[in-house]
This record gives sequence, C-alpha cells and structure tokens, in this order.
Amino acid sequence: MEVDSKVDLGPLLNKSAKRTRDLFTLNYAQAYDDPASQRVRLSAKISDEYKYSRELPAALVAQQKKAAEAAKEAKKQREEIPPPSAVGDLIDGISAQQSEKSASTSQALTLRTKNAFPDMPEGSGVGSSLVRRSTPKFVRPTWHAPWKLMRVISGHLGWVRSVAMEPGNEWFATGAGDRTIKLWDLASGRLKLTLTGHIATVRGLAVSPRHPYLFSCGEDKQVKCWDLESNKVIRHYHGHLSGVYALALHPTLDVLVTTGRDAVARVWDMRTKQCVHVMSGHTSTVSAVKCQEADPQVITGSMDSTVRLWDLAAGKSMATLTHHKKSVRALAVHPTEFSFASGSADNIKGWKCPEGTFIQNYDSQQAIINTLSLNSDNVLFGGADNGSMGFYDWKSGYRFQTLETVVQPGSLDAEAGIFASTFDITGTRLITCEADKTVKIWKEDPDATEETHPIDWRPSLRRQRY
Amino acid sequence: MATALSGILPKPRFEAHLPVDLDDEREQSQQLVSKSQIPPYGARVGWTPRTLDDYGNGGAFPEIHTAQYPLDMGRAKTKGSAPTQGGALTLEVDGEGNIKYDKIARQGHEDDKIIQSQFKDIVPLRERADINDDEESNDRPDEETVMSTAERTRLALQSIVNGKIAAARPNSIAGGTAAGNNQKPTYIRYTPAGGQSDGFNSGAKQRIIRMTEAPVDPFDPPKFKHKKVPRGPPSPPAPVLHSPPRKVTAKEQAEWVIPPCISNWKNNKGYTIPLDKRLAADGRGLQEVTINDNFAKLSEALYAADRHAREEVRQRNLMQQKVAQKQKEAEEEKMRQIAQRAREERAGITSSAADRSSGLVPPSNRPTAAEMMSKSLGGYGSESEEESDDEDDEAASQREEIRREKAKQRERELRMSRMGAETKAKALLREQGRDISEKIALGLAKPTQSSDSMFDSRLYNQSEGMSSGFKDDEAYNLYDKPLFNGSSMSSIYRPKANADSEAYGGGSAEQIEQMVSSAKDKFGMSGGSKGFAGTDGGRDVRREGPVEFEKEVQGGSAAPKADPFGVDSFLSQAKKGKRAHHDYGSVEKKRRQ
Repeated sequence: MEVDSKVDLGPLLNKSAKRTRDLFTLNYAQAYDDPASQRVRLSAKISDEYKYSRELPAALVAQQKKAAEAAKEAKKQREEIPPPSAVGDLIDGISAQQSEKSASTSQALTLRTKNAFPDMPEGSGVGSSLVRRSTPKFVRPTWHAPWKLMRVISGHLGWVRSVAMEPGNEWFATGAGDRTIKLWDLASGRLKLTLTGHIATVRGLAVSPRHPYLFSCGEDKQVKCWDLESNKVIRHYHGHLSGVYALALHPTLDVLVTTGRDAVARVWDMRTKQCVHVMSGHTSTVSAVKCQEADPQVITGSMDSTVRLWDLAAGKSMATLTHHKKSVRALAVHPTEFSFASGSADNIKGWKCPEGTFIQNYDSQQAIINTLSLNSDNVLFGGADNGSMGFYDWKSGYRFQTLETVVQPGSLDAEAGIFASTFDITGTRLITCEADKTVKIWKEDPDATEETHPIDWRPSLRRQRY
Repeated sequence: MATALSGILPKPRFEAHLPVDLDDEREQSQQLVSKSQIPPYGARVGWTPRTLDDYGNGGAFPEIHTAQYPLDMGRAKTKGSAPTQGGALTLEVDGEGNIKYDKIARQGHEDDKIIQSQFKDIVPLRERADINDDEESNDRPDEETVMSTAERTRLALQSIVNGKIAAARPNSIAGGTAAGNNQKPTYIRYTPAGGQSDGFNSGAKQRIIRMTEAPVDPFDPPKFKHKKVPRGPPSPPAPVLHSPPRKVTAKEQAEWVIPPCISNWKNNKGYTIPLDKRLAADGRGLQEVTINDNFAKLSEALYAADRHAREEVRQRNLMQQKVAQKQKEAEEEKMRQIAQRAREERAGITSSAADRSSGLVPPSNRPTAAEMMSKSLGGYGSESEEESDDEDDEAASQREEIRREKAKQRERELRMSRMGAETKAKALLREQGRDISEKIALGLAKPTQSSDSMFDSRLYNQSEGMSSGFKDDEAYNLYDKPLFNGSSMSSIYRPKANADSEAYGGGSAEQIEQMVSSAKDKFGMSGGSKGFAGTDGGRDVRREGPVEFEKEVQGGSAAPKADPFGVDSFLSQAKKGKRAHHDYGSVEKKRRQ
C-alpha cells in the first residue's frame, strides 16, 4: 500500500485535478496548465511567431558586437550586455523555470492548489469593483400621500411662465406671457394685484424675504425691482444683452443673480444696481439658476446640457457637471439637505453639494422637464412640457405618482404644459403654472393612507448605466 | 570641507565642459565697465552697451548703431523654464501609486477647481465603494460656516462694487483719484542703480519723488474710444461624463424632416411644386365653403314676402273687380230702370201723342246717358228722315224700327259683355275695320306675290356700317317692298259697304258717302278735293293703306331743311324785340297728313 501510494500519488493527483477542472470549469478553450503541454505550446508558439526574427541578420550582429565592445571599453564597471541570442535564452529560462515549477507542484499539494484555476473570476482585484459596490444598497422609499388637484385659477391671458411664493405664505406671484405679474391670495385664490411694466413675457420672479421687494425678469432683457409698499418699480438692473430667463435671490446677501439667453449669469448688487460679476462659461442659454447660502452659492443649468457651480466671491466656476445629455431647464435646491436636483429631457439627477457629487437618477419621465420643486418632506416634483407631472421620493428616487394635467375647457390638448412650479412655504400645497393660461394648486390627498395607496416598488438587480 | 565632500561623492561621469575663460572675460569686462562709467555724450565712439547697467536705468543710445535692449525691452523671452514645455505634461502619481490621468483635464485650471473625470464620478453615491455610510449624511452647513461664507463673499463683492461706484462718489471726484482709496501724495526715495554723470542732479546720489494722482476733470469727454476687445480663450472644456448621443435611425430622421419653405413669389432653388400641392399649401382649399344660412333665410323671407304681396295684390284686384262689377251691375240696373222708365214713358207719350196728335217734340230727343250711348249715326239719319214726314203710320213703323234696332243693340251689348277680352278686342277692331286677320284667313287679302323674295333691307348697305342700316328703328323701311301692294291693299283698307253698315248705325255706305260729301259741300269743301292747308295739293286724298306718319319737321315751310332747330325764326323774333306767346304754336307746329 505504502509503496503504491508513494509511486502513484503524483499522476493520480494530476488526474483528479484534471477531472475536477473538466467538471467545474467553464473555459474549455484554455488548456489545463500541464507543464509539459505548456512548454510544448510555448515553444510551438515561439517558433510560429518569432522564427524569422529569432536571429538577427549577420550584418546587424556584427554592428552590434562592435558597439558592445566599444561600450565595454568605455565603461568597464558596467555589467555585460546580454548577447544577441539572449531572447532565446530568456525563453529557455522561462520554460526551465516552468519545468522546475511543475516539478515542485508534483511534489507539494499546497503549491498546486494555490493557482489551480487561474481562469476563474477573482473575488477582488482590479476593475470596477474598486469603484463600485458589488451589491448596491437599496433605499426603501418612504410613503407619500398622492397629490390631487385642488384649485384652478384662470386669470392670465397668456402662458404662465413663472411663480414665486411669498415668505409669509400669504400670497404668491405669477408672471405670464401677457406681460403682467399677478399677485394671488393663496388661501382663497383671489387676485390681489396686477403689476404691469414689462414689455415681454415675465420669465422669473422672486420675493425677497428680507426686503419688501419683488424682483422680476423678462424676455424684454429687463430686470425690475418692485417695491411692494407702493407697488411701483423702484430699480432696473440694466445689462443683459438678451432675454432674461431666470432669477434667484441670495438668502443672506443683498445680491441678485439673473441668467438668460446671453449665456451668462449676472450678479447684481441689489442697492447700487451695479453688475458685480458677469459669470461667463456656459456656451448656450442659461435657463435655470439657484442660490444658496454656502458654497457653491450659485448653481446654474444651461442649454449646453451642463450644470455649473460658481464661486460667488471670485465670480468663477467651481465645477462643471456634464452628466446630462440634453439641455438642463430646471434646478431645485433641497430645503434641508445640502443637495440639489437638476432636470433635463433625459433624466432628473440629484447632486450632493459642496463638490457636486452625483447622487442618483430619478425615474425618467420621458418628457422635457420644465420645472422642478422640492419640499422638506422629501417630495420632488417634476413638471414637463407635455403636461406630465411626476412626484418622486427624494431619498430613493422612486416615482410614487404620475399625473397628467387637465387643460381648462376651451383649450387645445397641446396646451397641456407646465412651465413653473413651487411648493408653498409649508410644503403642503403645490402651485403649477401652465400653458393653458391657468395656475393650478395641488394638495395631498387627505384620505389616502398607506393601505389605500400602497407603494409599488420593485427594485431591480439589474445594474443601471449612467 | 569641499574636498571631503568630493572625496565621498563618486566621480562625475561626464566632465562639465564650461567655457570658463569666457566667464572670466565677462567678469573682467563688467568690472572694467563698472569702473569706467558710461562715457559722456560725444565720447562714445567705439563703446557698446552690453549689460543692463550700461544703460543706467535709461533708454537706448541713439548714436550707437547696435541692437540695444534697455530693461530687456524687446528681447525675445526665454522659454522652456516651465515643466510643461510645449504643452507636454509630466506623469504624476498619487499617494497610492495610481497615475493621475486627470492631469490632462486639470491642465489650465486652478488647483481648487473640482473636475470630475473618473469613472467613480458617474457612479451613484450609494453604489460607490469609496464612500462610507456616515459620509453620506448630507446636512446643510451650520450657522458658523454660513456666516463666514457670507462675510467673505460680502467683503469680496463690496470691494468690487466700491471700485465700480467710485466714479460716482463725490469725495473721489474732489480728491481727484480714480482709485478712491489713496488721496495723499506718496514719497518715494529713489536711488539710481547705475552711475550717473556727476553734473546730473547736482551730484546727489538719491532723489525723493512725490507721487500724486493727476487731477481729472470729471466733465471731460472720455479720452479713449471704447474698443471692443475680442473674447479671450475659453476655459478648457470639462470632461464629458455622459455617453455619446445615440445615432439617429433613418426612421427617426425621416420623422424630423421639415420640408423646405417655398415662397409663392420666389423660387431661388428652383423646386418643382405640383399645382395641387401649391393650392393645398395655400390654405384656401382647406377651408370649407360655408354659406351663412342667413342667406337662405333672407331668400326664404323674400320669397314669402313676394308671395304674400302677390296674394294681397290678387285679393285687392279681386276685390276691386268685385266692386267694379257691383258698381257696373248697379249702374246697369239703374240704366235698365231708366230705360224701363223711358220705355214706359215713351209708351205713355206715344199713346198720348197719338191721342192728342200734337207736334210735340218727343222726349226721346232729350239726351239721357243711356240714349247717348245707344244712339248711332244711323239713328240720327233715320231721325232726320223721320222729321221730314210726320205721318202716324210711318211714325209707328219708325218706332217699331227703333225698337227693333234697340233690341238688337241690346242683344249685341249683351253678347259683347259675355265675350272674353280677346274676342271683344277683335270685335272692336272689326268694328273699326282694322282687323284684317279674317280677311287674310278668307283669302281676301294675300301678300303680294313677287318673283323675287323679300329681303330685309338691313342686309344691304352693310359696308356703310351701323350708321346706315340700324340707325332708324322708327322708320318702317325694313323691307324693300310693302307687304300688301296694289289691289289687295285697297281692298283691305277701304271699308266695305255691307261690312260697315252695322258699324255706321245701319245706314248704307252710299248714304254715308253722300252725307259726307254733302257735309263737305256745306262747309265749303266741295268736291272733297280740299285738304288741310299745307298738305300736298287739293286733290282728293284717299287712304290707300294704313295711316302713315311723317317725322316732325321744325321750322317754317320756307326753309324746312335749312333751319331744323328754328334758330332763324328765333333770331328774327328776337330782333323784333318782343315775345309772342302765340307764336310758339306756329314755331312748333306739327304737320300731320
């Protein structure tokens, strides 16, 4: 028995290893690393590929020899340059090493098992696993009540293109294609005031929380400051070369940022009407701008499908986010988290703030997103150009409700489109401005519970591409 | 020390081949130059400025004809000192030995700029391996950070704003400084680096310079014209972190094809457009022709009104007819009564006359309306005859005759009243002897047969144009020959004795002829040869055809053609100086034949 085992253990092991490999490996094309066959294969390959370049031509050999001798004489301390036939020697050495290795493996089990199946996928190594988790974490979406239409306010004579909520939550202002700004009572929906003065569509509105001022900008290149105590224009911010499409107020400084078709964002000093910075860098219309109190203090989204974060103090761009494929028309800053969302025709993307790190995508709405709104209950609203509305859970990116706006009677079907939206200060009402010349107010369904409207969430294990 | 160090270090492999002798020369020359200062003006022949010191902080020497670069102005700048020569980047690694490939993306940007260029930047935060859960906490920055950021930004912005509004501030104008923050003069101690001539500045080695801003008149027009500066190069592009756009399929492409705009007035590209397409694009065919139903309503209303009016007219006519009939009936009744009364009276009178046999005028001579109507010429004739003899039987027979006649007349009237309008007209015509239709029907009157057929005269003289043929519609010259000619014409238009006996009140034609001639004799127109004055001749003019009319000719008979408008007569009258109203009649006299 003992003699038998001493003699036949190597071939037996070899055989069993071969069989195991046949049973469990998937890659049949690659040969089992039997050293003998490996050697044969290598030598065959070498003779196949390098036969003609194995030996240098005689002339070259002579030249090299001469050079080598010269070098030797010049630097005696240097090591010897390997002879011209070193390639063959090297390969021979390799094969010798391999044979040595095979001899050692035939004796020791431990060495064999180390690399028995080199073609099997490794548990950890180079590649995407350094960057990406093998098992993505899923965040279970929190339940939100579905939203339903509460009130339709019809009073504008053109597309309603902008909306701003008053900080006291008493009223809100809308600007429309009929060149007017109308102030509405939020509770009753009554018209409080109509401001005229713009000579083209009013595209942006903001009510200052620290002054009795309302700011408006329009396609007539004008940026106006209205005094809400006298309901008159008290300042003009003159400088834009083309239509002004968006406007944002800085929360802590007396500074106003406007962007427009001239592809720049202009920072205005509120009191002196001076243009502090002209932040250029975008190559197309800048259609959205947001301000926040900490760096990046200004965020712009442009038709060149980039989002830029700006250093307000220096007036320079801090970062450029090029993840979007289509023009970015909407931005929304989260009220409590330090993050923001950007909406484009291809996707809505969430970003983490100081560096603009990509957080996640939100389920695509398959429409041109015109406006985004976020409330503190982590509800993200996206309003599209074709009137489709998506309500998303901010944390998980799950769309819990999809709606289509209903056009007011007498309008075409094509006039379903949402241009602007905002949540009120409490976050319980959503105001949308639409292409059918109405302002619609939406609220959460008070009767809905988690039982009546369960979450239909199916996480897919499929890797998503971004 | 130096020797010890060189002993430790290995011998240099290559010997530095420095031109030592040249350096020494430079050293010597510099020393020499520094020793001997810049030669004064006029003594610089053969001297060349080589170093910066040779210029003594001044400009070039114009009398020395070599290339001079005082303060290195104009000298080509030395290149190659930067590590990124020619845009080539050095390979760098990070702390873990990974190559920093984003050096390319960072090139040209500041170090603090965030540049996302790696694969991890497109991986969602939750799936990233290098981010821990605690790092994911995403709260807004705290109050302190916010305040510091706000303060920093506020200061930065304020400095910019201050610079911008400095020009508008009054104190800066008063101070005369554009910058606004430095109003006092500054004093600079200046020591010339190079030597200067002893006589310059009275031999002083140092000078103190007082620097003040030159006062600026704020009302001065701008000294420099504002020039548009071309835009500088943009910042290097950010790495694109999205997949390239999908290729459009042919179908998608076809869906987006917008046909070229084609004007109705210009076709520069020479497109061929079918006519129906043009019409379709015109938009006129797209609108359906809708007629307002008010048109239909209007026409309906008009039609109804028309019918209503017609109905009304008809009713009115009917009414009028009825009224007229009633009146007529009443009148007839009245007449009948009168006639009855007259008859009765006559009967009574005749009886009385027969009784009395007196020559009283019969009351039948009294002209009552009925008798006026019923009386005829024959009646008169008979009456005149009756007057001649006064015998009773004869009178009786006469009366009988009258009675018979009257009965006949009544019968005829009755017949006439029963007749239709057409027959009545015919009968009237026959009475007047102008209806020849019967005669033609009986073959009494035949159109004159001629060998050559009749021609419309308008067919001739066509060469003269419209003026010859069609001018005179009134003239009866359509045919070249009259329709009835010769004997037939006379037979037609001459009243026949037997035919007209009835019409002439029963008297024969001969009698009438006789009467007429006698009347003529009585009125001095014996022989019947006398016509009206001015007519042609006194011969007996007998009608041989229908009555012919002649166009009125104005003016006197003396010059009927020469003065068609009566101008001469008017002038002659005017010469007389008085207007005779009665003369107008003569001037505008109508002659009729």
